[in-house]
Amino acid sequence: MERATVIEQLTPVFRKIFNAPELEITDEMTANDVEGWDSLSHMLLIADVETAFSIKFKLKELNKMRNVGDMIEIILSKA
Amino acid sequence: MVFTSVNFILFFAAVIVLYFSAPLKWRWLVLLVASYFFYINIKPVFAILLAAVTASTYVFTRLMDQTRKESRKNVYKVINIILVLLPLFFFKYFAVINNSLIAGLQGWGIHWPLPEIELFLPVGISFYTFMAIGYTIDVFNEETPAEKHPGIVALFISFFPLILSGPIERAGNMLPQFRNPVNPDYDKVVKGLRFMLWGFFMKLVVADRIGIYVDAVYHNIPNHNGTTLLAAFFLYPFQVYADLGGYSLVAIGVAGILGIKVMDNFRRPFFAATMAEFWRRWHMSLITWLTDYVYTPISFALRQYKLWGIVYSLMITFMISGIWHAASLTFVAWGLLQGIYLSVEALTNKQRANMEKKYKLANRGWYIFLSCLITFILFGISQVFARSANLQDAFQVLGKIVTEPGALFIGAPSILIFSILGISMVMLKDFTDEYYPGRFLLFENRNKPVRVMAYSLVIVLILLIGVFDGGEFIYFQF
Repeated sequence: MERATVIEQLTPVFRKIFNAPELEITDEMTANDVEGWDSLSHMLLIADVETAFSIKFKLKELNKMRNVGDMIEIILSKA
Repeated sequence: MVFTSVNFILFFAAVIVLYFSAPLKWRWLVLLVASYFFYINIKPVFAILLAAVTASTYVFTRLMDQTRKESRKNVYKVINIILVLLPLFFFKYFAVINNSLIAGLQGWGIHWPLPEIELFLPVGISFYTFMAIGYTIDVFNEETPAEKHPGIVALFISFFPLILSGPIERAGNMLPQFRNPVNPDYDKVVKGLRFMLWGFFMKLVVADRIGIYVDAVYHNIPNHNGTTLLAAFFLYPFQVYADLGGYSLVAIGVAGILGIKVMDNFRRPFFAATMAEFWRRWHMSLITWLTDYVYTPISFALRQYKLWGIVYSLMITFMISGIWHAASLTFVAWGLLQGIYLSVEALTNKQRANMEKKYKLANRGWYIFLSCLITFILFGISQVFARSANLQDAFQVLGKIVTEPGALFIGAPSILIFSILGISMVMLKDFTDEYYPGRFLLFENRNKPVRVMAYSLVIVLILLIGVFDGGEFIYFQF
């Protein structure tokens, strides 16, 4: 899967979870940059990302995600 | 040797001199000896447990480091977590279980072979156990490499500023600092002393003064009316904040003077507009520990259940937090309440955000104030359970507040006056830090005379109205 495709599919998931129809994601983006992104909504995001790409994360991978870029890399390694 | 004793000041002065005069490569040893001296001073036999937890953690993290097989690593992790939790469980819960068995079985005419017992919890055991567990899991997750030097690991787990009540630090932050000590830095020393001074003020002037009133009321609930109980209701959260917050500032200051940066434990908690935000500002080292090592694994396992998975994980996490505080129904209720508050917030998040957007509430002063007040009251209700001896007391307090107004019990007027003065000063400082950061500075003012006046005022207040026989810090019992 191409990186651009991942971003294209990932964006609507973020927009839905954080209730922000115009949100654009970037590699450097972290939870601090998005309103409402806390430890509660994070797990909702993870579950929806898994469904969107038909993948399963491991807990270890979750701990290693420091920003959206990390998440995209892990998705790329699986999808 | 508590922070507020003269002995501690003498001990700390000696540590500073020895630490900075020792060669860099032996600094860890100075701190390790000082930490064990500090802990042995409380009760020598407890240091054996501390050493045992350290030895087990060192051995199993090293074993994890030398294994490639994931499953075996996991076994080492689980064994160490169980081993280090054993003493904590024994001291915290054995007496409760034993004594309830005696009472429970007696009703059936069965004789339980052990006598009724009361165990004294080794002070600090929760805090160093949590740090050891965190380190074990971090090594397993490859967040931090296993430290090869046993002395550094021992220092991490026993570091005297943190051992009695936290902040519950992480290996990733502390180990590199212990490995690479720094020379004295004037700015860090001044900053550390400021933290200590304000911490002492919070504990001695604010917390222990409020404690006199709150204790008097809670020791005699049937004889007090709703108005008095309401006063205690509003005062107690400030007491806990000033107590644990004050302790934390002294701990952070002491470590800071030695050149070691320790995480914050409180960030102006009473300016939180929701309970979720409150828990990002209150006892932060415990809550982030619980988030990383309890909540995240559970909610990850339950993520397919979406929001309900999160609700369930929140409930379990806060129940564990409650039962950790004490094996009593009051703390079960406390945990349950936190879980309910946060779950309701999580379930109504979208609606609230939409409402705030529609009526443009987010920046209105009155709305922010009201939100903070509601958050404070919700937390206050949970603290009634934390403070009460049993569930009946807690319900009696809450019931009387609603149904039995009357004249406020004053006692010695100075107690309430000084309490309110102290709370006002703490809240004023938090208010300016929250809404006007970098302005109205006193301790950090650029004008030396202003700084000196501020220091002097706080020192005079501590000496004049500080409570020096107020006893221990609240969190020593956990």
